[in-house]
Amino acid sequence: MPIYLYLDRRTFIHRLHPTVKILAVVAIFWSVYWVDNPLWLLPLGVLLMAGAQLTRAWPNFYSLRWLFVLLVFATTLTWTIFYRQGKPLLHLGPLFVSRASLEYGLGRGIKLAELLATSVLFLSTTKVEEFAFGLGELGVPYRVGFAITLAFRLVPLFIDSALTVVQAQSLRGYDFDSGSLITRVRRYVPVTVPVFMGALRKANNMAMALEARGFGYGTRPTSHVHYEIRPLDILTLIGVILLGAAYFLIYYTGHGAIAPG
Amino acid sequence: MVVLSAICAALYAAVLVPFKVVPLIPGVTEMRPANAIPVVCSFMFGPAAAWGAGIGNMIGDFFGGVGPADIFGFFANVVYGYVPYKVWQVMAPGEPPIIRSPLTAAKFVIACLLASTFCADIVGWGENLLALRPFLMLGNAIVFNNMLAAILLGPFLLAAIYPRVKAGHLLYEDLMPEHQVLPSKTAWLGMLLLTAGVLGAWLTGNLISTGYWRPHTLPASMTQPPYDRAIAIVVTPLVGLATLGLALM
Repeated sequence: MPIYLYLDRRTFIHRLHPTVKILAVVAIFWSVYWVDNPLWLLPLGVLLMAGAQLTRAWPNFYSLRWLFVLLVFATTLTWTIFYRQGKPLLHLGPLFVSRASLEYGLGRGIKLAELLATSVLFLSTTKVEEFAFGLGELGVPYRVGFAITLAFRLVPLFIDSALTVVQAQSLRGYDFDSGSLITRVRRYVPVTVPVFMGALRKANNMAMALEARGFGYGTRPTSHVHYEIRPLDILTLIGVILLGAAYFLIYYTGHGAIAPG
Repeated sequence: MVVLSAICAALYAAVLVPFKVVPLIPGVTEMRPANAIPVVCSFMFGPAAAWGAGIGNMIGDFFGGVGPADIFGFFANVVYGYVPYKVWQVMAPGEPPIIRSPLTAAKFVIACLLASTFCADIVGWGENLLALRPFLMLGNAIVFNNMLAAILLGPFLLAAIYPRVKAGHLLYEDLMPEHQVLPSKTAWLGMLLLTAGVLGAWLTGNLISTGYWRPHTLPASMTQPPYDRAIAIVVTPLVGLATLGLALM
């Protein structure tokens, strides 16, 4: 199972400044927020698909295809039931379905799918270090960025370590597979002990190594990685700001809303 | 503390990510046995576990895609990883969080319930505020999911790990002895406010999002689906009250 969605390609989106990418994600989230009508959400969906094509990120979208389907389906269904507005097409006890509730539900479903698509696109084109760098540029403390990067690096190590313990215990005849779901989950408790203790030993050694390297001594730590703002970054930033402004205008003029008919 | 936070985050994410494929409510939440990790880490590492829970959840979200509501998810998990530590400090100072008597079990359940419900309140309130999902859905699914993992796995994990961590002098009190505080009257007041805020937010959030309660003091336009404005006006102060309580503890 992949932990990282990052795909190493040489596209202009990959080469954008990390801070610009984070701001672009925020701008798309902002744009999605203002509009309820599914029709007005479609242009943004087309833009995201163009992004996926440009960055050749389709493999990631394909691996998450069921998540997209479930997200749209479950959200549409939920809001269709909860949004009790408009002339009912079906009214059976708590179940209330109208044209407005269907439109609203579909709009929410598409909205969440677009938020997911934006994040998949971002993660397909941004390394963890770039993300941490971008956060730092936006004023997030260096220690937070460092903790995020370190945690990302440690996840596969811990998963590997847990799998090794499971295999070692299975070889000794420990049965992980029989019994009810709860029994099976509880059988994994002994596995966590060596993983946990190994992790803590690692933490102790790492803390000493970091202290020896002067971690936390200076208020402004230096970095060997530098990203420069290029004209393309500025153009992209202007583009996403205009996109955000356009969607706010759609909301402001009342076009993005659903008519409770 | 930074390394300990990263370790807690990685442990949480390492269990969270493989279970992303087992949905509990499709498209909303999945089976999360990993939710026992922040509680277990909280009793041992306090604030480091809290930041670890937030970051670990963010890594889990990264696997399945992030959204604006994940900001609430981050803070909800920070709270989920912090409340058990603070509640235990107030209710059972100096006692190991290993269940050996019905009284310890009751204290453990109270700590987990407050943490789970506060976490659910923040996510449910945040998502309803952005009109993404109704409070009812996440507010209850999260309490159920968190409590299930914390109650079924937490005590076993603590019984297996806590004595070893204590023997290794790796508890938060050992690593940061200057941060140790004894429970005071203010802490008990904080706990009272936390309980009132957490339970009040959960109850009002559920009632408003289902349309069973429409506060008459609010204009009619605010008590229409998706109830984002009503939730903002009624539930926000209660979430604030719970946060104030936590700060006082």
